[in-house]
Amino acid sequence: MLKGTMAYFKGLKTTAKYLFKKPVTVEYPEVKRPVRERFRGRHELKRFANGLERCIGCSLCAAACPADAIYVVPGQNDPAKPRSAGERHAAVYEINMLRCIFCGYCEDACPTNAIVLEHQYELAFYDRRASIYTQDMLLVPVDKGHGEVPPVLQQTGKQLNPPAQIDL
Amino acid sequence: MPDMVTLTIDGQTVSVPKGTLVVEAARQVENLIPVFCYHPKMAPVGMCRMCVVKVGTPKMDPATRQPVVDADGKSVIAMMPRLQTACTTPVSEGMVVVTQDSEVEHAQRGVLEALLTSHPLDCPVCDKGGECPLQNLTMGWGPGKTRFDYNDKVHFEKPVPLGDLIYLDRERCILCARCVRFQDEIAGDPVLGFYNRGRAWHIISQSDPEFDSKFSGNTTDICPVGALTSADFRFKARVWELQPIPTVCNHCSVGCNMTFDTRSNDIKRVMPRENDAVNEIWLCDRGRFGHHFNTSKQRLTTPLVRKAGKLQEATWEEALSIVAQQLDGIRSTTGGKAIGGLAGTSLANEDLYAFQRFFRETLGSANIDHRSGSALDLPLDDAGAQYGIRSGTDLSTLGKGTVVLVFGADPEEEAPVHLLRIRGINTRGGSVITLNGRPTKLDSIAKHALRYKYGSESAILAALLKPLLDSTPADGKRATLRGFNDLVAALKGFNLDEQASGISADKLNTVAELINSAENLVIFYGRDALTAGASVPAGLANLLVMTRKAGATNSGLISLLKGANARGALDLGVRPDRGPNYAALSNAGLDAKQMLSAAREGKLKALYVAGVDPVGDNPAAAESLKKLGLLVVQELFLTETAKLADVVLPVLSVAEREGTYTNAERRVQRFRQAIRPTINARPDWQILQALANQLVSEAVLSAAGGDKSRKQTRREEDKARVRSEWTYASPAEILMDIQANVAGYKGVSYASLQGPTGQWGRQANENYYFDGTSYQNTGGLGVQLPAAVETSSIQTLQPFSVSTPASVADRPWTLVGATFLYDDGALLTDTDLLNNRKAKAVVALNPVDADKLGVKNGERVTVSSGRGSLSLPVHRTKLAPEGVVVVPVGVNNVGLVSVVEGGATPVAIRREA
Ligand code: SF4
Ligand code: SF4
Ligand code: SF4
Ligand code: SF4
Ligand code: FES
Repeated sequence: MLKGTMAYFKGLKTTAKYLFKKPVTVEYPEVKRPVRERFRGRHELKRFANGLERCIGCSLCAAACPADAIYVVPGQNDPAKPRSAGERHAAVYEINMLRCIFCGYCEDACPTNAIVLEHQYELAFYDRRASIYTQDMLLVPVDKGHGEVPPVLQQTGKQLNPPAQIDL
Repeated sequence: MPDMVTLTIDGQTVSVPKGTLVVEAARQVENLIPVFCYHPKMAPVGMCRMCVVKVGTPKMDPATRQPVVDADGKSVIAMMPRLQTACTTPVSEGMVVVTQDSEVEHAQRGVLEALLTSHPLDCPVCDKGGECPLQNLTMGWGPGKTRFDYNDKVHFEKPVPLGDLIYLDRERCILCARCVRFQDEIAGDPVLGFYNRGRAWHIISQSDPEFDSKFSGNTTDICPVGALTSADFRFKARVWELQPIPTVCNHCSVGCNMTFDTRSNDIKRVMPRENDAVNEIWLCDRGRFGHHFNTSKQRLTTPLVRKAGKLQEATWEEALSIVAQQLDGIRSTTGGKAIGGLAGTSLANEDLYAFQRFFRETLGSANIDHRSGSALDLPLDDAGAQYGIRSGTDLSTLGKGTVVLVFGADPEEEAPVHLLRIRGINTRGGSVITLNGRPTKLDSIAKHALRYKYGSESAILAALLKPLLDSTPADGKRATLRGFNDLVAALKGFNLDEQASGISADKLNTVAELINSAENLVIFYGRDALTAGASVPAGLANLLVMTRKAGATNSGLISLLKGANARGALDLGVRPDRGPNYAALSNAGLDAKQMLSAAREGKLKALYVAGVDPVGDNPAAAESLKKLGLLVVQELFLTETAKLADVVLPVLSVAEREGTYTNAERRVQRFRQAIRPTINARPDWQILQALANQLVSEAVLSAAGGDKSRKQTRREEDKARVRSEWTYASPAEILMDIQANVAGYKGVSYASLQGPTGQWGRQANENYYFDGTSYQNTGGLGVQLPAAVETSSIQTLQPFSVSTPASVADRPWTLVGATFLYDDGALLTDTDLLNNRKAKAVVALNPVDADKLGVKNGERVTVSSGRGSLSLPVHRTKLAPEGVVVVPVGVNNVGLVSVVEGGATPVAIRREA
């Protein structure tokens, strides 16, 4: 009988101890925990600092994707108003987030570091169509660009060859 | 059997014919020697050094001239001091070849490293990426690293257009000269060349307009890198995303095998499918780029029915029941003879067979034709099937001993890939004879390039036949030739008028001798010959018979008819005078011309037109068509004829359905459905089946007018005529019906058309050699039908007579309508890339004649015949011989149709003020 009562207090002691400790749970969604540096979340299509899209519409990400989640239709750049560095850009770029398994192979395959899995993980939709993220949704705004077009791509002064030796 | 040589390649012994190159010998034992510049269809040049191997030959004792033998009794091999290029070294007896060792590998790595120093490495944006030999060989043989500084690469401005169709990226070019050699050796248009030296060395176009060749697209296939890309496919998709669907080109009678490479239900490009018996691995630019009509926005998308004077959209049920009821009404009041039907030459065999069945059985009408009733129609050509090239002939193997006679034809414009094949026969040692009224490109390689005067065609043939006739011994030989005496009578007293025919009798005797001594005789004839009177195809057939080549191996006629399936239309009886398989009919119907005049007179009440455009071909036909009670048009586009129709029924295109075509060599070939239709159209045969079934159904029969007894007799007549309800579920079943009912098509089924596939001793890694992903023919090689003469023991000479054209005093010139590859036909709709190359609406006039008339380029002249006149600007060119004016057929706003009288027409020319 006494033994039973003692066990009761032992349990309460643990409770009392944690009553004064900082809790580990966070009040999601009000509070969001930062993710790890290498977390693989929603993709972003990056730009260069001058605003040009990094993506050249090469479809290598789509070829690498084990889930067949990416759809790319290439197009030809208008030399007067290029969208990307070089002759070619992605006219259509879509990722089906329901298919994606966030493996990051697309990121590995990309020769221009255009597609990057970022830290956003809130991906829920009310209907399946909404799971297809289009180029507009994936492209970062112009002022968010980073990295200069590497000199090797600028040296011809005319139309550039993007992929080889692109900086990070 | 040619002399065989035995050699050892990497320890494997192989025997090959003498003269074989080491690289080819190695392929036979599936030993892959990597190559860039070598291509099995072209002479080797040894430019890239990728194929280096170690070669040794048995050491000879200079004194005894015997191989030196070692202690074991084996001959001693003397290795050559340096590596040799396998693509230029022919095999020799006892040769030892080493393709894999450290020395060879070192050299191969070096070649690739050097090539890559001036290569931009932009595979991700390169259209060749994924099917690129440079990528493949670098993966297999290249170094992992380079010792060169990336920033030292040569840079050229990115792609420069070589003409409208091809882009050249000079950075990517590895200077293998495959493109240059293709143009020089195979196409015979030496328009590409090298320019500059050293690192600035590059390819240029030397012609004006740039890259002026009908075969330019092939260079993009054989270029081993992405230096040449087509404007049509540029950045359309990555090659590994494409799904190649086997199909057959429907632009001309060659019937080239190709694939529609599709993605997302869209045709992205067209690639050749290897078929040595048809197109080897080539396509012409019309076939390659002219696929846009399939996906054109101008296509008809839904049935149209005329209501209140306007064509308005309707449902299929509505449109079909209107057609069925009206046809039935006419059938019951006037009988089938008041109904006519035209079905075009781009319809599949299955459609054509269903069409003639629909007319002969369901409607009880014999008025069917595959032509449009204009003055430019070709006559019905039976010789091409009766004396057609023997089944089993493969032009790509013919060479020495073969004589090719091209009579009244311009294969480059009428059937382009035949030009490549005739050139190939010439390269392999055959002889080409051209007998034409005007210059053609083949003249340059012809052993005898003879120019006759228009109108003397039958006299020329008589001059060729006469010596053969005279030399035929009087014994039993003559008895086996039916019609021999008639021919003798026809040629009695014939003497060639050298002045009027333009060719000397001696020359023709030489040609007759050459033809007579040939081992194989292949005769091509085209528009000029077909329009020169029935004696011309008959005379050509007689040439075959008299030289004992009728039905003989590798010999026969090839008739370059207009349209992909003109032969199919003739075979399957879409013509008024004969049924399927050229069966004689007791009552011939009206042909297209007669139908139009019967309509004008009000005798023809209804016309059913499928894939023909009588008004587009001859605007005057509109008058006749307006008099009809019912005009039904079954079409891809809203043609000029369709605009007048009461009911327009949209059909599916070649890419959206299945079927078969019969080409000029009478090979039946199958095309598949490449894309899902997105419009409310149906295949031709389905429409005909639906109508046929409605027309025999009780509902329609009882709704028809007329008194009761009449209806009863009619129903009985119908019952007797109509075999049963049509229950075809697919074109394959119609083909089964064809093979059961049409003797010539025996044994032709979708299974047999699938046929054997691989050729060239295919190996898994073939595209290291040939590039492109689509060469391999997985869609079947088709079946070549036997010519009638092959199976008959008695040879028949065709009725032949010599005609001399009456010269018309006040019309001293000769007008000739010529076929051009790029015309204004509906099949080039939306292929804007070819617009600049389309034939212009001009009169081609020899400069000498033009000076006589005092006209400069671009000035207008009036050309008038007994029928009418046309007015066009003049183009001064040597392509028109003196005294002849050439006007294109099938080009809008030419007015040729109201001037010509059959073939070559005497005309007067007047300079316009
Ligand atoms: S993360 Fe993986 S699954 Fe998702 S799109 Fe990229 S490659 Fe495909
Ligand atoms: S791999 Fe990179 S450059 Fe290529 S299509 Fe994908 S995102 Fe664009
Ligand atoms: S363009 Fe292509 S085919 Fe022509 S030389 Fe250069 S690499 Fe060879
Ligand atoms: S030659 Fe004739 S069949 Fe061949 S690709 Fe050209 S148009 Fe088509
Ligand atoms: S040198 Fe032999 S393939 Fe180029």
